[in-house]
Amino acid sequence: MITFEKVCKSYPGSPEILQNINLEILSGELVFVTGPSGAGKTTLLKLISAIEKPSSGSIVFESQNLSHIKDREIPILRRRFGMIFQDHKLLYDRNCFANVALPLEINNMSFSDMNRRVRAALDKVDLLKKEKMMPITLSGGEQQRLAIARAIVSRPSILIADEPTANLDKEYAEEIMNIFYSFQQVGVTVIISTHELPSTKINFKRLQLIGGSIQNLIGHVQLPS
Amino acid sequence: MMIIVIGITLCLPSAGLLLIENAGQISQNIEHEAEISIFLGKTVSKDQIDFIELSLEKNSLIKKTHFEPKLIAWEKLQSKLDVAVSSSVSNNPLPDAFFISLNTLDEIKIQKLIDNLDGIDGIDSVTVDGNWIKKLRIGLSLVKLSVFFIAALLIIVLLVVIGNTIRLQTLTYKDEIEVSKLIGATNAFIQRPFMYTGILYGLGGGIITISILKLSVLGLNATLIKLASIFGTNIIFQDLPHRFYLYIVILAMLIGLISSYISARNSIQRLKIYK
Repeated sequence: MITFEKVCKSYPGSPEILQNINLEILSGELVFVTGPSGAGKTTLLKLISAIEKPSSGSIVFESQNLSHIKDREIPILRRRFGMIFQDHKLLYDRNCFANVALPLEINNMSFSDMNRRVRAALDKVDLLKKEKMMPITLSGGEQQRLAIARAIVSRPSILIADEPTANLDKEYAEEIMNIFYSFQQVGVTVIISTHELPSTKINFKRLQLIGGSIQNLIGHVQLPS
Repeated sequence: MMIIVIGITLCLPSAGLLLIENAGQISQNIEHEAEISIFLGKTVSKDQIDFIELSLEKNSLIKKTHFEPKLIAWEKLQSKLDVAVSSSVSNNPLPDAFFISLNTLDEIKIQKLIDNLDGIDGIDSVTVDGNWIKKLRIGLSLVKLSVFFIAALLIIVLLVVIGNTIRLQTLTYKDEIEVSKLIGATNAFIQRPFMYTGILYGLGGGIITISILKLSVLGLNATLIKLASIFGTNIIFQDLPHRFYLYIVILAMLIGLISSYISARNSIQRLKIYK
């Protein structure tokens, strides 16, 4: 589904962040991108979601070459992803319903369909009762769940999460991870960058980045509980 | 605040236009009363006078003909001049004269008429009394040009001011723009609300301009009516035709739209996401 071939990424005046990355992520996989700070985890996710373009090499997503994607095609591509960020990136001047509805507004969905989808997404993350509340009134874990609801409301085939549990307590972090696992179980490809691997018994693929290179591309690993 | 700035800024060229329209009306009215004075030779005979009068009456360009014999002209002049001055002049120096009003403003036709009149036996000189009208017209054209030049400069100023305001608004909504971009909004989708804001600024500003102009005309005419009763004049300040007010509003909205489009587009394209 997503293929990196000899991908390198550097910014002007800086050393290479990613060097000669070759990887393949298949549809429906749960992928953890791990590594120390500065290893290039966020950059890798930005390349997948076309926020950045590679300096060299090619990235192919479902036969579309992201290395040469036109600017006008990027918004269309991004609508196929659901993105979750470390700092949530919620809009604090809108209530929970309006935050989740934003991707559907962009897609020009009718109000009745939007209403139904948003409520379903909020229900999935157990925030339906708080739809009229403002995000600032929610806890850290709830805000991240709200961000997940916004990411899934347009039913993407891929979820990309950049350190979604970095600022959360262990209790909330587990809650968030369980939500991701549940999506992966129904066939959504989930790519998560994180410092910590899950401790529960699940199948996942691990991409370990150190110094911009994939040091360890491990296939399906099953950890003991 | 922005709509007040737009409103007052557009008032300046609009007021200039109002003045030009009124000055133009006055000059046209005066032109319709402009005359050609035809002075006859000192030795012209009565037959020649009759012939000239007949020629003038047959001419389709001439609306009205009035003959003033030299004796009547002399008596009129004497009544205006000081008695001492008039008594020092023993002979009547004034010629017989025809005064004609035209029913055309075409300069080429008028000049052709003058050339024809110059060729008639018995006519000594032909004077167009409306030469100063020509000068007024040229003056008005210069004023019009200046007003348009100033209007162009003010429009540029408005484009910059509105553009800067919209740019600041895009910075205010930076977070929302970033999130929208990240979840797949096109730049056009993101720009749209800013363009609507620009159009609304223009509409509000246009309405303020119209209000100021209308109030000014009402106020001026109220004063002119009072002056008219004192000085016996009937000059009224004419309002602009309604279509001009529509043009002002449309122009203001266009300025708002263009400015906000350019500014929002540049700001949104430059905005770095997820840094």
